This record gives sequence, structure tokens and C-alpha cells, in this order.
Amino acid sequence: MEGISIRGISQAFGAVGDERRVVALEDATLDIPAGELVCLIGPSGCGKSSLLDIIAGLAKPVAGSVTIDGEPVRGPLPKRVSFVFQENALFPWLTVYDNILAGLAFQGAPKDERRPRADEALTAVGLEAFRAHYPRQLSGGMKQRAQLARALALQTEILLMDEPFAALDEQTRLVLGEDLSVQLSRTRKTIVFVTHSLVEAVFLADRIAVFTARPGRIKTVLSVDEPHPRAPSFMTSPKLAELRNTLYELLHDEARKAMEMGAEV
Amino acid sequence: MRGNAGAVRIGVIVLLVLLWELLARRFGNPLLVAPPSTTLVTTIALLGDPQVTQALLAALRELAIAFVIAVVAGLVIALPLGLSTFWRGALLPLVLGLYAVPQVTVLPLFVRIFGLGPPTKIAFGVTHGIFAVILTVIAAARAVDPHLLRAATSLGATRRQMIVAVVLPSLVPSLFTGMRLAMSGVLLGVLLAELYVSTTGIGFFTQAFTNAFAPAKLFGLILLLAAIAIALNELTRMAERRFSRWRENPAS
Amino acid sequence: MQIGCVALAFVAWQTGSSSGALDPLILPAPAAVAAALGTVLRSGTVWAALGLTLAELALAFAFAAGSGLLIGFAIGRSPFAVRVFDPLLAGLYAVPTILLFPLYLLFFGIGPPSKIALGATMAFFPIVLSTIAGFAQVSRVHLAAAQSMGANAPQLFRYVMFPDAFPIVIAGLRMGLVLGFLAVLGGETLTSNGGLGHEIVTMAESLEPAKMFAYIVVAIAAASALNLLTSYAELRGRRHETA
Repeated sequence: MEGISIRGISQAFGAVGDERRVVALEDATLDIPAGELVCLIGPSGCGKSSLLDIIAGLAKPVAGSVTIDGEPVRGPLPKRVSFVFQENALFPWLTVYDNILAGLAFQGAPKDERRPRADEALTAVGLEAFRAHYPRQLSGGMKQRAQLARALALQTEILLMDEPFAALDEQTRLVLGEDLSVQLSRTRKTIVFVTHSLVEAVFLADRIAVFTARPGRIKTVLSVDEPHPRAPSFMTSPKLAELRNTLYELLHDEARKAMEMGAEV
Repeated sequence: MRGNAGAVRIGVIVLLVLLWELLARRFGNPLLVAPPSTTLVTTIALLGDPQVTQALLAALRELAIAFVIAVVAGLVIALPLGLSTFWRGALLPLVLGLYAVPQVTVLPLFVRIFGLGPPTKIAFGVTHGIFAVILTVIAAARAVDPHLLRAATSLGATRRQMIVAVVLPSLVPSLFTGMRLAMSGVLLGVLLAELYVSTTGIGFFTQAFTNAFAPAKLFGLILLLAAIAIALNELTRMAERRFSRWRENPAS
Repeated sequence: MQIGCVALAFVAWQTGSSSGALDPLILPAPAAVAAALGTVLRSGTVWAALGLTLAELALAFAFAAGSGLLIGFAIGRSPFAVRVFDPLLAGLYAVPTILLFPLYLLFFGIGPPSKIALGATMAFFPIVLSTIAGFAQVSRVHLAAAQSMGANAPQLFRYVMFPDAFPIVIAGLRMGLVLGFLAVLGGETLTSNGGLGHEIVTMAESLEPAKMFAYIVVAIAAASALNLLTSYAELRGRRHETA
């Protein structure tokens, strides 16, 4: 099938039999059709970021398999999947522009295409004026936009985002969330987006996969039936509020459980 | 995993010692190298030689005296410089200028002033150790947490109370860091002077053993000095760990 | 005020010397040192001595940097190797390197090779330890980011590991160079047949304190020049942090 197919994924850290062994994820199964934005949400330590690493081919699961357009994932697929990280994953010793060019070099994009693609990505996120800046000269929001540009330049059909806005203040998050919604209504990418924020999940997602506390299982998948690009008015709509309340009820007990396990990982 | 690394480390050390033994026995010129087994026997024998133990004890005494002087004098110099902008502005450049001098070049001068005996070695140890104390204490005095100072001011502390209650206690961990660094400086200074003066003490024996092509004795003497150095370094390191425990971020 | 204080120290030194309060055999007047510096700089022996010292340093540094970078890189890339070897090397570093000098004299004689060996040993430790630290702290996020975009091994090294480790490695190289210089100078002062340290001792023993100080001034100048040069190199290498 077209899109991402996740079948029975389990992930654990530490050797079998070791008392410190942590089972992060248990038997996760989910289908993400092409062009859909799915949010993964759940308490800390529920394995949602681990799942993202597995989809990206950056980690191997202890059980289960992921296929992309029917092909099993065995390692990074830079031509089809790009990744936006939670922490600042821009290379601090390169300018914004050189960061994007480095990504294209890693991907193996043809030399003559790199500059036009980098320019296009910079324009898409509105950072043309900051191309010669080093990451430390940018605000947190601009850094994440630069990271998004680096990922967009790879022109992959799938974009994985691991809490990309977690370190930003609430207002910057809102702006970047709106921008992202506009972006994907244009490019029709398949996006898997990990977040802690209930509002962010409802505002951005087509569907929301809710995880239980560790060992993480997919508890429920909620649908948000609302076309992209989502207008700012959606943020204040009763529909969003209702979905957020549902999410809150689903997550409340899990978050408490996770905290009592001391699962801040 | 942690214990594993320790075991591998011991394995590596054992392997290196075995390699040294094998290579020294098989290929080594007995006038230049001694295998570890011979060195060990000779080292124990050296400890029975009253002249050698006397030289070692003399060096140890010099190290202790130089360390105490370096720490006390360093503190006495550092406090006014750390607490007063005026004295810091006036004297810090002088201190930094002296610190930049490659001290080993003035060793002959020390011998000229203090003679061939312990005073030279102590003095050279002091000048090698004192800067570590001065510079760490000054840096710490300037880096006292401004939140604490503001809190003390808001509570109505006088300058005197501020120094006694806030500044001096926050210098303690850095003083111990300074002491650790001072110890390695003192070791360097005293050993340099000991090796330079070849008529008495350690320097006499290293030269005598070298001239006599007695590598086992030379290795042994160096091992004993290294053991002293490691023990003294470890002592100050333990003191530093013990007295900086309350600090929240030991990394800084 | 700072300039004033340093000037004051000089004036005190000069008056102390001319009034006879300072023994000219121990601390000659600044004017006498300046005159001796002129003589020494013109004589040419100072250039030969400086040249020998710097040549010893260059070789010592080359050995230390070559081995330190290679070993440090090999260890720093594996967390397990770091746990095995880092405490071992740090422990060895706690032993004053100068203790090895009598051994090097026995092995290599009183000529330049024993100074090169001492300088190389002294410079090796900061270089290898900082190389280990540099490659051990390479950001896992940066590595994962590069891998997710398809970087191959040479690209990982060139774009991620090398620049990430660089500031720490260069600081170690700088430290190694400065310590290596001090070690070479120290070796020459202790036992040698040439170089700046040797000249200083010779002047001290032949009761030429003004000339001795002139050589010391040359040594200080060389040390400062090395310091400036290397800190400039270090700054160039960390431009992105200050830009």
C-alpha cells in the first residue's frame, strides 16, 4: 500500500534479563496512508519517539516491521523520508544555507540541483534573509524553521517530526503550527508528528494516535475531520475544544501513571 | 558494563607490564632497560637504603612545606585582589605577567639566591603552586552568585557581613580546586629543583644511577617518586570532592 | 592604572638596583638587562639557541600530535574504549612528566633527542585526552540528523565529527604545544648541550646575570609568541561560536 505501515512494533532498551531493561513500546500497529498527518501523543517514556526513530530507520525494533510503500525499512531512506528533530539538530558550525546544502550532499542530490532546491526551501519557510546566519544567531523558532527547510529541501514524500516545537514558547508554537498546516496543504506530504501538546495535536493532525504509559501501546486513534490548511479560527472552535477534552480524558490517567513510574526519560 | 570496563582496563595494564617484561628480557640492553620483575625487586631494596629513603623523605618534607606556603600565601594575596576592584586592577596584571614567565628559566637564579639545599626546592615549589591558588580564588570571588548577593543586600547585610556570610563560603570549593592544581604545580617545581641540583638529594641519585648504567635502580627511584606524586595528587583530589559536594553543578 | 602599576614596579626595580639595595648578581638593573639583550641579539648565538629549541619543540609536537590525535580518535569514537582508557591516561597524566627525564637521559643521552622525548611526552597527554573528549562528546543528535539524511562515513567525519570535536581538540593541541615548549626548555635547563635553556644556565654559572636575563626575555618572548599564535588559530577555528 501507499504510505507507512507499522506492524506489531516492540522496542526495548537494555539486555534481556537485565533488571534495568526498559520496554518502551509494545506491539504498535498503525497504518498511515500517503498524504495524511498523524500525531503521536502520550506520556513521557511511552515510546513515541522510539517509534519515530524506527520509522526513520535510525533504530531497529526488537519485534515487528515497518514498510514504506510496501518496502520494509532497514536503514535511513534519505530519498523518501526526512526527519526534523526535537533538539536543535542544525550543525552549529555551518550557516543556515550551508546546513541545507550539507543535507542535500548527504542525500546525494545532483550537484546542479542543490542550490535551487536550497533556495526554494529557504523561501518556503521565509528565511531568505537569514541564509548567511549561523544557528546560534537565530531565535528558537527560526532555528526550527531552518531545520524544516533542511528537511523540505530533501523533497521526500514523508516527513517525520519529533517534538519539533517542544522547546519553543506557546505563541511561537502557534505561529509555526499554522505555517506547517499551510505548508502541507501545498505539498501533500505524509507526516508523522510527535508532540506533548494536546492543542497542537488537535490543531495539526488528521488523526491522533494516543499512547498508554510505559510499556507504550496505542490506546486509541482519534480522527480530526477538518481540511488543511487550518485557519486560525479553528483554534478557537468548539470542535477543537471538544477533541482536546476527549484527549485530555484519555491521557490524564496515563500521564499520572507515567509520573508515578518515574518515567521522565 | 561499568565493572566490565574496569576489568578490561586492568587487563590492559597487565598486558602492558607483561609486554615490557618480555621485550626487556628478550631485546633490551641491560645497561639501559630493566624488566618490571627486576625493577620491583630493586625498588624494594632501594627502600632499605637509608640514603635513598632520606632523600625521598627530604623531598616529601619540601613538598609539604611548599604546598602549605603556596596555599596560605596564595590565599593571602588572592583575597584582597578578589574582594577589591582597586587592588585587582592594580596588581592582577603584575600577577598575570609573572605567571607568564616560563619559570624553569629562572631556576638557576633560585639556586643563586637560596643555595643548593631545601630552601631552593621549597621556593621553586611555592612559585609553581601559588598561581593556581591565586587565580582560582580570584576567579571564584568574582563569580559569587549575584542572586545570593542580591538576597543578602535585600536582607540588609553590611559589606562585612556580606563577605563573611556569602563571599567566603562560596570560595571554599574553588579553594580546594586551587589546592589540587597547586599540588601538581608544587610537585613539578620541587621535582625540577631536585633534579637540577645534582650534588644532593634525588638529583644526586638519578645522576649516579644513570652514570652507573643501573636502569633498575633508576626505574625504581622514579617509580617511588611517581607513587608519592600520585598519592599526593589523589589526596587533594579527594579533599576537593569531599568539600565541593554541596555545589549544585560541580562541572562549572 | 594598570600600566601605572607595572611602570611603578619597573621604576622600583631600577631604583633598587642603582641604590645598591638589589644585588646585581641576582637581579641586575633593567637598563643593564636591556643593554645585554641588545648585545645578545646581535651576537647570533641567541638565534642558534632559539632555533635549536624551536626545532626540538617542532619534532616533539609532531610526535605528540601524530600519536595523540590518532589514539584519541580511535578511543573517543567508542564509549566502551573511553571508559577503559580515559581513566588510565588521566591517571598517567597525574604523574609529573618531568620524572621521566632521567630515563630519557639514560636512553637518548644529553643531546636534543632527550628533550624531544620529554617535550613529546608532555604534549601527548593534553592532546590525547582532549581528542578523546572531543570525539566522545560529538552530538548524537547531529550524528542522527546526518544519518537520517543519508550521510556516508567520510561525510559523517567531515561534516559532523570533525567540526564537533574541533574546538576541544584544538584547545588540547594548543595546551600540548605550550607544555611541550616548557618541557623542552626545562630539559635544556636540567641537562643539555644546547638551546635556550642551556644558554640561560651557562650565563648563570658564568656570573653573567644581565645576559642570563636577556636570554630569559627571549624565552618569554618565544612563549608569548607561541601563545598568541595558537590562540589566534584557536579563535579562527571557533568562528561560528562568536560570529
